[in-house]
Amino acid sequence: MNPVFDISLHHFLIVSFALAGAGVATILTKRNAIGILIGVELLLNAAGVNFIAFNKFLWHNTTSTSTGLDGMVFTIFIIVVAAAEAAVALAIFLNFYNNFSTVDVEKADELKG
Amino acid sequence: MPHSIITLMLIALLAPLVSSTVCILATRRLLFKGAGYLTTAVMAGALACSIIALFTWLGTPVDQRHALVLNIPWIPLPGFGPGHALYLGILADPLTMAMMPMVTGISTLVHIYSIGYMHGDKRYNLFFAYLSLFTFSMLGIVLANSVIMLFVFWELVGLTSYLLIGFWFEKRGPQLACKKAFVMNRIGDAGFLVGFGILFYKLGGAMLLPATADSGSMFNVLANVLAAEGHSLANPPLWLTVAGIGLFFGAIGKSAQFPLHTWLPDAMEGPTPVSSIVHSATMVAAGVYLTGRIYPILTPGAHLFISTIGLVTLVMAAFMAMVMTDIKRVLAYSTLSQLGYMVLGMGVGAWTFALFHLITHAFFKCCLFQCSGSVIHAAHHQQDMRHYGGLGKKMPITMACYAICTLAIAGASIPFTTIAMSGFFSKDGIIAGSISYGDVMAHAGYLGKLFWLGPIVIAYVTPFYMGRSFALTFLGKPRDQHLHDHAHEAPLAMWFPQVCLAIMAIASGYLGWKTLILGSEAPMLAQGVAAIIPGEVIEAHHSHGMHMTHALLLSGFGWIIALGAGILMYVPGMAISSRIVKIPGVNLLYTWALNKFYFDALYDVFTVSMGKFVAVVCAAVDKYLVDGLVNLAGSTVREIAMLSGKVDKHIVDGGVNGVAAMAQGAGDMLRSTQPGKIRIYVLMFFSSAALVTLLVVISAIALR
Repeated sequence: MNPVFDISLHHFLIVSFALAGAGVATILTKRNAIGILIGVELLLNAAGVNFIAFNKFLWHNTTSTSTGLDGMVFTIFIIVVAAAEAAVALAIFLNFYNNFSTVDVEKADELKG
Repeated sequence: MPHSIITLMLIALLAPLVSSTVCILATRRLLFKGAGYLTTAVMAGALACSIIALFTWLGTPVDQRHALVLNIPWIPLPGFGPGHALYLGILADPLTMAMMPMVTGISTLVHIYSIGYMHGDKRYNLFFAYLSLFTFSMLGIVLANSVIMLFVFWELVGLTSYLLIGFWFEKRGPQLACKKAFVMNRIGDAGFLVGFGILFYKLGGAMLLPATADSGSMFNVLANVLAAEGHSLANPPLWLTVAGIGLFFGAIGKSAQFPLHTWLPDAMEGPTPVSSIVHSATMVAAGVYLTGRIYPILTPGAHLFISTIGLVTLVMAAFMAMVMTDIKRVLAYSTLSQLGYMVLGMGVGAWTFALFHLITHAFFKCCLFQCSGSVIHAAHHQQDMRHYGGLGKKMPITMACYAICTLAIAGASIPFTTIAMSGFFSKDGIIAGSISYGDVMAHAGYLGKLFWLGPIVIAYVTPFYMGRSFALTFLGKPRDQHLHDHAHEAPLAMWFPQVCLAIMAIASGYLGWKTLILGSEAPMLAQGVAAIIPGEVIEAHHSHGMHMTHALLLSGFGWIIALGAGILMYVPGMAISSRIVKIPGVNLLYTWALNKFYFDALYDVFTVSMGKFVAVVCAAVDKYLVDGLVNLAGSTVREIAMLSGKVDKHIVDGGVNGVAAMAQGAGDMLRSTQPGKIRIYVLMFFSSAALVTLLVVISAIALR
């Protein structure tokens, strides 16, 4: 067994778990909106890694209609959505900064009753 | 022929009502200045109708001159038997014929006078409307064919006189005067209703019967009913006497006789044209006219009462007229005195002369008031004669008219001839009647000589006080130079009626009015009984003492002496009289007369103070008893409300608030889980996800 190439599904899942854990830790610890956005991106990418890993290792072609690329396509969608989400989020942060001169999410509490 | 007379009378009655209504309803812009001319023209038309009716009537043969009646059932009263109803309509008998031209004529002249006198008044149109309505009411009394109609118009006269006396209601004086006149008349009318009620109780529906062509007026009809029921006037039941006195009380109110006379001098507060018509043709005449109408049912006792009232009024008012200094008040008291003559004449049975005096007096008293109005007008509303003097040079026409009427009221005549002023003819008959009545009464043991003495003495007093007012106003030196300088003759609209009336003051003695009224006398006196001495009935009489008084009194030099004394004493002003009134005895009488014999004070004590006392008692009852109950009820309700308020507040509201508080508490509790910090949410999200995952894994392991 090649220790370099004998990479199984578990390794991928460990990486994605680490990514997700880092993302959650980032979200929980950061007060800076940009930091939280980075944490969210980490979470998304963890999900993307999972999709690819599951597509690679668990896919069995049982029907003639499938291309075998379902997980890949989902990942591409996730990247696209993440890009769009980052754009929207950054726009919101910019506005937020314009109004409050900060990007600390703790300060965004005007809707609180 | 009868129809045309009835029609003319109807027109004469209703025309003033129509013109008055038009004047009231028309807007000021449409009919303001025109109101005077319209009502005057209509009144002149009514006069023309009356005169044409009179001459139509005179044109018929004497034996066909019976009373003409128009009876219209107004409200049927089947409960009193078939044919019974409240009647409206027209009665035209000689008395009516005599009264109609007098009332309409004087009213026309007063209308003309008012055009001048009321010029510039801000309610000019309304004044003429009231004046016409007033005349309409009086014509209604004169033409009434049933007691009900008479009473309706009787009250209408009361109302319209109230409106006219209080015409300048912005001022305090007229307000009080018109109220006083109205209240005093109500007292008299209450007496009238008592009399009416007694007769109605005793005779029932017969009281409502209208006049008939055969019997004459409604009271003649009533006298026939009484006779048919066996009630003799010579030996009457008490209730008949009381009823007669009661009906006469109406006349006491309207004609301002002794106990209720105080309103008439106060009514001077009204505009002078009102005084002139109230004191002559309309209101005060109504009372005497009523007494003349009820004559057939008056018992000897009622006659004695009426004579006494007349005598007291006559004497008392003459003394008051001697001391008054306000020109209109002098004339007012002289009216009272002359009305006393008329009522006395009615009482003593000189029926014809009482009504004759009513007519002659109407002309000269109306003229005197119009002259006084002209003087007041010229003197800038100064009414006190002490400020006048020497006005004769400035106002010759007024002075001449006043002089003629002074002679007329004094009963002037050329000695030992039958050439005389109108007042002579009428007053002489009354004096003659009262002398014979006095004889009868003295015979019966009463103080009959007073009926002798009173009218004769006052026949001298009258020229004296009239001479006094004439001299103070027109003769002598001016006592107020400023007033004298500004005085001027009255305008045409004012002196023209004065002249007409002055002519009538001379002419009415000759125009056959007496003969005309005599035409009504036969049915009246055939039924009426003036006085009885035990066992012997003295028939009502007329003028058999004529020649005696003619020689004794008025045709002598008596009136000249009295009038001359009045004039001479007052030409220099009040200087002589002010010395005379200081004589002991005289000064007492003077003070009493000047204070109107304290009648106003008496009424004040007995009615006003009593009224105030009753009011105070009532107020106390109101305050402590009625208010107490009301307040008790109020506070009870309040306590109940407080209690229910507490229940509301603590129990009902408590429930509602408790629910709300619970909701709030729960809300607060749940809120603490959502602090608004994103990290907390994220932590909760992931820890929940981890928890779920853990559970899934554990359950998967457990289930394997």
